[in-house]
Amino acid sequence: MVEQLPHASYYADLEEALLGFARYARLQGIKVGIQEVQESLQSVEWELHQHPIIFRYALRSIFCSDKEQLALFDQIFEIFWGVEKGKFKAKEEEEQNKNRTQKISASRVWMGKNEAREDQERDDSENVSGANTVERLRQTDFGSISGIEAEMLEELAMKLWQQMSKRIKKRFKQAENKGRVDIRSTIRHSLPTGGEPINLYRKKVVPRKQKLVILLDVSGSMDTYSFFLLRFIWALKSHFSKVDAYIFSTNLVRITDILETKHLDHALEILAQYAEEWSSGTKIGECLKAFNHRFAREALSGRSTVIVLSDGLDTGESGLLASELSKIRLRTRKLIWLNPLKGATVYQPIQQGIVTALPFLDTFQSGHSLNSLLELENYLLEV
Amino acid sequence: MERTDWTQDTQALAEKFESLTYILDEELATILFLMMKLQKPLLLEGYPGVGKTEVANVLAEALGTELIRLQCYEGLDVHSAVYEWNYQKQLLSIKIQEKGDRTEAEKEAHIFGEDFLLSRPLLKAITSSKSPVLLIDEIDRADEEFEAFLLELLSAFQISIPEMGTVKAQNKPWVILTSNRTRELGDALKRRCLYHWVEFPDFEKEVKIVQKHMPEVGYSLVEQLVQTVHAFRKEKLEKAPGIAETLDWTRAVTTLGYEKLSEEAIRQSLGCVLKSAQDIDKIRHDLKSIVHSM
Repeated sequence: MVEQLPHASYYADLEEALLGFARYARLQGIKVGIQEVQESLQSVEWELHQHPIIFRYALRSIFCSDKEQLALFDQIFEIFWGVEKGKFKAKEEEEQNKNRTQKISASRVWMGKNEAREDQERDDSENVSGANTVERLRQTDFGSISGIEAEMLEELAMKLWQQMSKRIKKRFKQAENKGRVDIRSTIRHSLPTGGEPINLYRKKVVPRKQKLVILLDVSGSMDTYSFFLLRFIWALKSHFSKVDAYIFSTNLVRITDILETKHLDHALEILAQYAEEWSSGTKIGECLKAFNHRFAREALSGRSTVIVLSDGLDTGESGLLASELSKIRLRTRKLIWLNPLKGATVYQPIQQGIVTALPFLDTFQSGHSLNSLLELENYLLEV
Repeated sequence: MERTDWTQDTQALAEKFESLTYILDEELATILFLMMKLQKPLLLEGYPGVGKTEVANVLAEALGTELIRLQCYEGLDVHSAVYEWNYQKQLLSIKIQEKGDRTEAEKEAHIFGEDFLLSRPLLKAITSSKSPVLLIDEIDRADEEFEAFLLELLSAFQISIPEMGTVKAQNKPWVILTSNRTRELGDALKRRCLYHWVEFPDFEKEVKIVQKHMPEVGYSLVEQLVQTVHAFRKEKLEKAPGIAETLDWTRAVTTLGYEKLSEEAIRQSLGCVLKSAQDIDKIRHDLKSIVHSM
């Protein structure tokens, strides 16, 4: 890096240095507001800066609001105030960085495939349209789609998914039931009748928000589907308030934050950097184990619905998949498995992975075409 | 005043806590110091069993003030957290006043007066005559709506009651929130708090904690127990044992009359430290290698 790192010694006095530090922290993505700066200035008044470690603790508790920020804070604190260089650097952070830079290439393959053809496809697609095409596309297996149709399908898919999200939202609102008697307003309204409650007033029932947890298989066997399914997740994400998404093949990556962005292309770009060993073998059991171990506590609750999007072609040991699925099932309201292979008429759930999984599933559906994904609406509605 | 003595620097604060059998590390001591100075709420996050709730207990004891505790749960609403009207009393009062010559407006004002108000923890906390310690436990379990409601309380230390107006705190309570991180808390709430992530204690600290609580237990046994608990935490368990479990276990092992931690002693008392059937199975299975590796 050519750019010089900021350091406390460039500033005239401690107050200015603190302001500079706050600015630096902000640049690094820690949300530091005026109030935080004021508080840190106050901590100087109380002489907390005399001891470097205590100073770091104090600023850390003021600046950070999340466990994940702590390691980053330690790093920038070290750079800026230059205390005991290299000592605090969190190991975890180092490892994360290592992972991030590894293996970007494989994902580029399938995403690149679509980019390259884009121009040509656009020209072609303008000439094809009509209700028949739409109807046909809705039923087409994602796996057998041609290059020309891909973009049309994408557009159609986004439209339909968004409609679906809207419908689900609306129905949530309509389904309000009569709630418990609201004693407060009943009494208030009984004043004119001398305390005799004639009309009962009821509390509004607030529909409980469902939480969706989605686990998408991006291994080689799912290659043709995962691209569309990822878009499907993104569509859900932008219309549901609580969607928690993960991708897995031989390892598991949480992509919820990445999908937060408004532009899908941008999200895909970032995903490419994160993904490791895309389009390789699948170890569903191990990935679910990793999910259970690292994320389940936070992600799952009695209210959440878990959707696994995978073909169930597992290269790991099969007993593991069953036991991990049963763990997930225990902690959720509903467990849905969408399997693109099920769309084929000849398909029988006989692969080892799927057989062991079946007893724990509430729903086992196809999810190979637009129509089948839209069917999901019915399951999402049952609160 | 005694209070002014130990809140003046972090060292004294840590000593005060230690005298009340809570071992503070330097970081938490600094943060508690800041919390008292800035009069800001403190958000403690960490796995279950690392002693988050205990901080509030000890702080209340140290300050010699009341601890008001609000246990959060899904569906917790304003009526069970802040205030509720005493409906029975209101109904009776309406009946009694039926023949009176008060106007309707007067009647309404009367039955929505302070006499008819039932204070729940949060209202109690801001109307106390001496600053209490307010513990809002496991805030991550409460709904987001409730979290939003807390914002007014935590920044302005006031509560709005529609029928009466705004109640402002005479004495700001010391607020400690804890979260097990079963869900992400809102940014707005976090920004109003000082933040601290509570880790499991390291070996030395945990030995110190056990000794503080049970000085009669021999050092070598404590050392063995803590070492084993640390080994358990390294295993991928459903529920890692917390400090409370270490203490329970120590108590159990000494009650059973062991002076050394043998394989048999562990086998007999495993239920005190591990709280899930799967974990117990797993540890039973690997017990030999765990004991040998120590």
